[in-house]
Amino acid sequence: MVLPKFEYKKARDVADAIALYKGQKGKAVYLAGGTDLIPLIKQRLSTPSVVIDLKGIEELKSITNKDGWLEIGANVTLFELKIYPWIRDNLPAFYESLEATACETLQLRGTIGGNILQDTRCLKHNQSLEWRTSRGFCLKSNGKECNVVKGSKVCFANYCSDNAPALVTLGAELKLEGPKGERVIELTTLFTGDSLKPFSIDAGEILTYIRIPAKKTKGAYEKLRVRESMDYPLVGVAVSSVGVAAKICVGGVGLQPRLYELEDAGIETAIREIADKASSDAKPVANAVVSPAYRKKMVGVLVKRAVKRAIGEGK
Amino acid sequence: MKMTRVSFEINNEKVSLDVRPYETLLETLRERLMLTGAKEACGMGSCGACTVVMNGIPVRSCLVLAPEADGAVITTVEGLRQDGKLHPLQQAFMEKGAVQCGFCTSGMIMTAKALLERNKKPTKKEIIKTMSSNICRCTGYKKIIEAVEEAAKKI
Repeated sequence: MVLPKFEYKKARDVADAIALYKGQKGKAVYLAGGTDLIPLIKQRLSTPSVVIDLKGIEELKSITNKDGWLEIGANVTLFELKIYPWIRDNLPAFYESLEATACETLQLRGTIGGNILQDTRCLKHNQSLEWRTSRGFCLKSNGKECNVVKGSKVCFANYCSDNAPALVTLGAELKLEGPKGERVIELTTLFTGDSLKPFSIDAGEILTYIRIPAKKTKGAYEKLRVRESMDYPLVGVAVSSVGVAAKICVGGVGLQPRLYELEDAGIETAIREIADKASSDAKPVANAVVSPAYRKKMVGVLVKRAVKRAIGEGK
Repeated sequence: MKMTRVSFEINNEKVSLDVRPYETLLETLRERLMLTGAKEACGMGSCGACTVVMNGIPVRSCLVLAPEADGAVITTVEGLRQDGKLHPLQQAFMEKGAVQCGFCTSGMIMTAKALLERNKKPTKKEIIKTMSSNICRCTGYKKIIEAVEEAAKKI
């Protein structure tokens, strides 16, 4: 598929990237690994006049562990994180989510910043312009109704990051820098629930660092997918636990991940209750490659499986 | 729209050429440099038929913008043969019958080459994991895995 016309600019540093953005009056997008953005541009789902490449910004390629925080530059690739021993040994939910993301070639190119800020997806939306034009535009393409649930004024696209649910369970924060300055937000507040603007990031803001409390956790990540490689999650469940308490986050269904807290992960009935609640809260529709009923059922199954594995086998 | 000047090293040869800013590296390789070993199949980064090695890392060249390759060192399947001799991976793919229609082969070989560069002695499990980045329409995976195992012994 041929790309539409746009200009390419390479940013030297974060300030340079923001200055380049300001000069484009909102018609620019930031490019990192490109594994999410380039297909979106090819399908005319993103139509920038300028692409600002952040990959050359060296300061965003660092991983530091000090003062009780693991701080990861947004340009660090998923593969680099996967082979970082401290993450494997202390943050198993995050490590497993990295291992479960796409395939090794894409992990070598895709960045953690890009993975968190990937757009929400739907079978009836992530299609070529011709396909969407012939069918009629859906809510996510500024149309009048959802193409999956006819007549619905609500979008059911799925947020398909594997890493974000794991990071939510670990209490991660995001550092953002933009035309109005710097700020730090909790990852849980990133998600708006609005399909047209899924993230609470201002125009021109760049995700610069991901901060994770540097403490040892037990954990697991369970992913429902058709193939063992490349597929986006049809359901993704991350669990991280310190002591007997556990945080559970369900992704892959709907516009944002859902967080649940378990006071004592050792109580069987409590696990079952939270699994039932997560399954009941999930409202999958027919916009993925397996049936909504199956995905809904699997939310509960994977919650139970992930909690048990986290407390039983997790490091 | 203004063309962009890019310079990179490809298959041990330095090149400098004008590209469209919205051109993919795959288009540059195939249409400007006539290196048609890398194939376009899905064009969306899913299949791996367009894989080339850039700065030691396998990349989907259909997802890389040509200007991003400025200053890079790139190897395509055409650059593997040395002094008239096939690369051990190419030889092993032939000997093990790891080629059916051949469309995925160059991408498979380049993915395997990058693996063997960063891991000289991969286990079978590691080979399977890495090679699952690429899709073979003929489903000849078993022979492909065997070929990579065989080549790893000879490198």
